[in-house]
Amino acid sequence: MSESVISVSELTRRFGATTALDSVSVSLPHGAVYGLVGANGAGKTTLIRHILGLLRAESGSVRVFGLDPVADPVAVLSRIGYLSEENDLPGWMRVDELIRYTSAFYPKWDDAYAEELRRAFALDPAAKIKDLSRGQRARAGLLIALAHRPELLVLDEPSSGLDPIVRRDILGAVIRTIADEGRTVLFSSHLLDEVEEVADHVTMIDHGRIVLSAPLDAIKESHRSLNEAFIAHVGSAATPGAEA
Amino acid sequence: MRSPALAIGWEFRRRHRWGLTAVAGYLFVVAMIRFLILEPGEPVLVDSGRFAALVSVPLTATFVYLLAVFSFGFAGDLAARHSIYPARMFTLPVTNAALVGWPMLYGTAAVAILWLAARLFAVWPSGIEIPLVWPALLAAALLAWTQALTWMPYGLPGMRLIVAVLCLAALETVVLVAIHFKAGEPRMVAILAPQLPLAYLVARFAVARARRGDVPDWRGLSARSGETTNVLPRPRDHFASPGRAQVWFEWRRHGRSLPALVGLLLPFELALLWLAKDAAAFVFEILFLVLITPPFMAAFTGWTGSKPHPNVGDSYGVPPFSATRPLTSAELIAAKLKMAMWSTLAAWLLVLVAMPLALEWSGTWSVVTERARHMNDAIGTPRAATVVLLILAGFIVATWKQLVQSLHIGLTGREWMVKGSVLLTLTFLILLGPIVEWIRDSPSVQRALWNALPLILAGLVGLKMSAAAWIATRLDRSRLLGDRALVLGAACWVLAVFALYGVLVWFFSTPFVAHYLLALIAILAVPLARISAAPLALAWNRHR
Repeated sequence: MSESVISVSELTRRFGATTALDSVSVSLPHGAVYGLVGANGAGKTTLIRHILGLLRAESGSVRVFGLDPVADPVAVLSRIGYLSEENDLPGWMRVDELIRYTSAFYPKWDDAYAEELRRAFALDPAAKIKDLSRGQRARAGLLIALAHRPELLVLDEPSSGLDPIVRRDILGAVIRTIADEGRTVLFSSHLLDEVEEVADHVTMIDHGRIVLSAPLDAIKESHRSLNEAFIAHVGSAATPGAEA
Repeated sequence: MRSPALAIGWEFRRRHRWGLTAVAGYLFVVAMIRFLILEPGEPVLVDSGRFAALVSVPLTATFVYLLAVFSFGFAGDLAARHSIYPARMFTLPVTNAALVGWPMLYGTAAVAILWLAARLFAVWPSGIEIPLVWPALLAAALLAWTQALTWMPYGLPGMRLIVAVLCLAALETVVLVAIHFKAGEPRMVAILAPQLPLAYLVARFAVARARRGDVPDWRGLSARSGETTNVLPRPRDHFASPGRAQVWFEWRRHGRSLPALVGLLLPFELALLWLAKDAAAFVFEILFLVLITPPFMAAFTGWTGSKPHPNVGDSYGVPPFSATRPLTSAELIAAKLKMAMWSTLAAWLLVLVAMPLALEWSGTWSVVTERARHMNDAIGTPRAATVVLLILAGFIVATWKQLVQSLHIGLTGREWMVKGSVLLTLTFLILLGPIVEWIRDSPSVQRALWNALPLILAGLVGLKMSAAAWIATRLDRSRLLGDRALVLGAACWVLAVFALYGVLVWFFSTPFVAHYLLALIAILAVPLARISAAPLALAWNRHR
């Protein structure tokens, strides 16, 4: 197997008395759709923020494309497409301004693809971000994360902004496309059905510790479903996805 | 806790328990001094310095603290457009009247009690009639208006501070005029008492507006010109570089605030020229007011620009959208510095166009040309022209400096650091008056200070250069700036210092001022450490 896209080793992170990540080690190979599942507060977003360099590793190490994302943010971030759970796109921008602004940072930005996505997502170029619905804002975020055809796509709880009817179609298509082209997707969610549908490899995280990390097929062989695997490793009280 | 009134009161008490305890402790100490140390009936002869240290400075500081507490100033962003009233309280099942009324009641009661306690328990100089009721009412009115004006949503960042300062200054002016004309207590009460219901009504309107999310946005053009913008073709070409894109982003987010604020104030300031036709001194006072407007406004807008994300509740951290831009922290800072430059130039362009026009149309141009002719005769044309240009350049540079000098604090994203800095600045401003008075009244202190001036300046230079060296080392180690950028930045700074030194030597060509003093002043005047620290501050915030 080729060099890992993401390599996290013995990463521990504490916020005051709370241990958000406890000796987490993860390695993501090229070309896989990697599902990170866990209940709210399990540590998914903290792990992703380390991968993006938004948090500095207190102990352990984080390498993305073999680089330290804190020491070399430009080299790492220019190869990553990121859709934030917080959906914090600047409200004052218009959709076309957002596209124009974001395109400046990525040499591989594909104008035609961006336009294709804009049409597919039915985004009015003259609309202000603050006037878009939550779902539309998520689509705008997805557009700017995808249009530079990133080597690594990081989606942090992407479904939180999309309605149930379209989220499966859009995310499924996007994730498959990227994976087919040999790119890598890290996809965090607390919706097990969604992960089960698109992920090749699943990592379960609970109270900052990785409790299971295996290919989805292997999990399905040992458990009837991802839901059952989750209950077995994390417990029924924390079972996510009930709202899905 | 069964009522909203108790719950709101409990929150103030719980959150500010240490500060409120300190206030009570201070009042207790001054009461002890009054009742246990001084003999009853003994005339109290306290000089202004001691009185300032014991009563006026702590009392003013306490009043400012209570203003901040009861207007939610510690929790909100004063420079932001949205109301600083905590949005979480808007969802409580209580009326606007309750949301406004209880904090206003607690606040006005607290400042009134503060005054009454200080009046009754503190040591006041003998022979001066200290009123009892109206100062308490003035304090309550100032607090109520502060609440009303800070809870109001505004169309521009920084506008809250300007409106609040102007309105509160207007109220103070009315009171000072009344004191000047020796108005008695009943008349003062008649002036001040109606302020409370008025402020309450304004505050209710403000909170109702904020509660329904009605925040005007004047950052762009007005609604009418906004429609025009929609008609105009928007640029579709790509930015030439990521840096250009980031400068555009900063300009759109922060850059237009300063020109807009200056543009709002200029017509009112310049209109005074029509009243000052025959009074040369008044014309120059107005021109001075116009010239200090951009740097003064920059101090407010600069604070907004230094915050990574002014529009969210957690306004200290860098939002993921900005933090994940593939730019180094130094490049993000460079964009802010460039934006500040464009913002400064735009504001000054307004001033430099409007001022001559207003002078010409108001018929006061001749006053200025007459003074220029006198100056020309006195020091010669080249020197006069250079002096004018240098003064103008000084104002422009001061504007830019005001915009960028707080970047290193705001960008750290640490609440304790931001609030600590504000507290230190306020403490300094409060202490400045008594210290200046003390120096003014004491020739021996003046002599000592003058003799120690070289040492003081040398110490400050040493401090500045040590800080700069530490920052440069950190920048180098963290690879935030490359060697070339560090050397280039240092070279530019040295060049600026030499240029300023040359100007100072030329300007103060007198044997009474040693050249090494001018060199020290030049080193202190050209920004270095604080601006250099901005990338470190951002990196500390961006990679937590």
